[in-house]
Amino acid sequence: MSNSFIFRLFRLIILLVVQVLILNHLHLLGYATPLVIGYMQTCFRAGTSRISLLLWGFATGVLFDMFTNTSGIGAASCTLLAMIQPSLLQLFIPRDAPDDFEPTLANMGLGRFFSYILIAMLVLHAAFYFLDAFSLSDWSLTLVSIFGGSVLSAVIILFVELLTRRKTR
Amino acid sequence: MRNLVDFLRKYLYWLVFLVLETVSLVTLFHAGGYQESAYLTTANTVVGGVYSFTSSVASYLDLQTVNRQLESDNEELRKRVGALESKLLDMGTDSADVSRIVQPEYEFVSAHVVNATLHRNNNLITIDKGEADGIRPEMGVVCSRGVVGVVYLTSAHYSVVIPLLNLSSKVSCRLRGSEHFGTMQWRRGAVDISYVAGVPHHAKVKRGEMVETNGFSDIFPPGIPIGRVADFGDSADGMSYMLRVHLFTDFKTLRNVSVITNYSKPERRELEYKADSLMMN
Repeated sequence: MSNSFIFRLFRLIILLVVQVLILNHLHLLGYATPLVIGYMQTCFRAGTSRISLLLWGFATGVLFDMFTNTSGIGAASCTLLAMIQPSLLQLFIPRDAPDDFEPTLANMGLGRFFSYILIAMLVLHAAFYFLDAFSLSDWSLTLVSIFGGSVLSAVIILFVELLTRRKTR
Repeated sequence: MRNLVDFLRKYLYWLVFLVLETVSLVTLFHAGGYQESAYLTTANTVVGGVYSFTSSVASYLDLQTVNRQLESDNEELRKRVGALESKLLDMGTDSADVSRIVQPEYEFVSAHVVNATLHRNNNLITIDKGEADGIRPEMGVVCSRGVVGVVYLTSAHYSVVIPLLNLSSKVSCRLRGSEHFGTMQWRRGAVDISYVAGVPHHAKVKRGEMVETNGFSDIFPPGIPIGRVADFGDSADGMSYMLRVHLFTDFKTLRNVSVITNYSKPERRELEYKADSLMMN
């Protein structure tokens, strides 16, 4: 238990550093910033307690908000992702999978894994950029940010999986 | 009873979800008026520290741009020194009067930008000076080229500034050499363009004219340059001009800024506030 806690904390810190120091300066087509911080949430195994998922999501979002001055937006969207992650994962789980199935590229195969990540990223980016644009009428920019950011994040996560998880299986 | 406990245990996560989302959204929609929760922003000491460390590393990477900018600033200053010197000569022996013109009227605290966003609706800039250096909310921030923005939140050693590139930024300004004034408000899009509304039709506007602060607010002294008129047309209601202004401040490379610390007068603000509340009654 405590071992996996430290591992998750470590992953959160690394993701936060990468997100805040590198990816926040990236603006695809001028606007779309990928929120790879959502990778934190999509890594959780099936069958993880939902309350613990929600608390991790909330903590991730609050820390992200502190670094980007987006008070509450990150927290709200990461918590939303944490809420839907178990149901989303069920859609892509292979039939004979164990109860504590871990959603990795090696376990799921390219097609399933990429669809899973892409949908998760679309939910996160949609929540984030809609809340961000709440008072604004320029929907085209918001849509560009959502789709551009989601696709870019999904591709980045795919590469991270390819590089770090090759050994497992 | 047992069923009830089971039911609660099974769906407790919904409650947790709703509580967490409520907390997030309350923070989001109350973000406007909070002064005490600066610790949830980049004005927080830990976050500010992380950013000043990384920006000190990153600052080595664009020393060339900074150099170029400093050179052009120097040139500008040299020109102004030349102009002032010739004015001094024109003034002749009456030096008592001249000293008053040349004397710096305002006090500045210089600071470094440690974090800035450019591509959001409400961009913010974090600088590495705070209350300990005499900075308070509502003070004006300028750089060598012109207006940067207004201090929004302060902690002991960091401040968050609302730059011109923020949908909630409103700066009262005028055309240089005329008394016609308008309000500058940014629209999302370009980071070097802003818009001035409310300049009347009888004002003679020309392309390339300089837009500067007019001193109506107690944030900026009059006469600080903001930008040049790039284009102008009718505003949406057709009652006045809408100017498209090319900003002097280059927010993409902004690193050194100064905060005007002695212009803001609480006495004036109190008086205006009192007048406002009297009008209400």
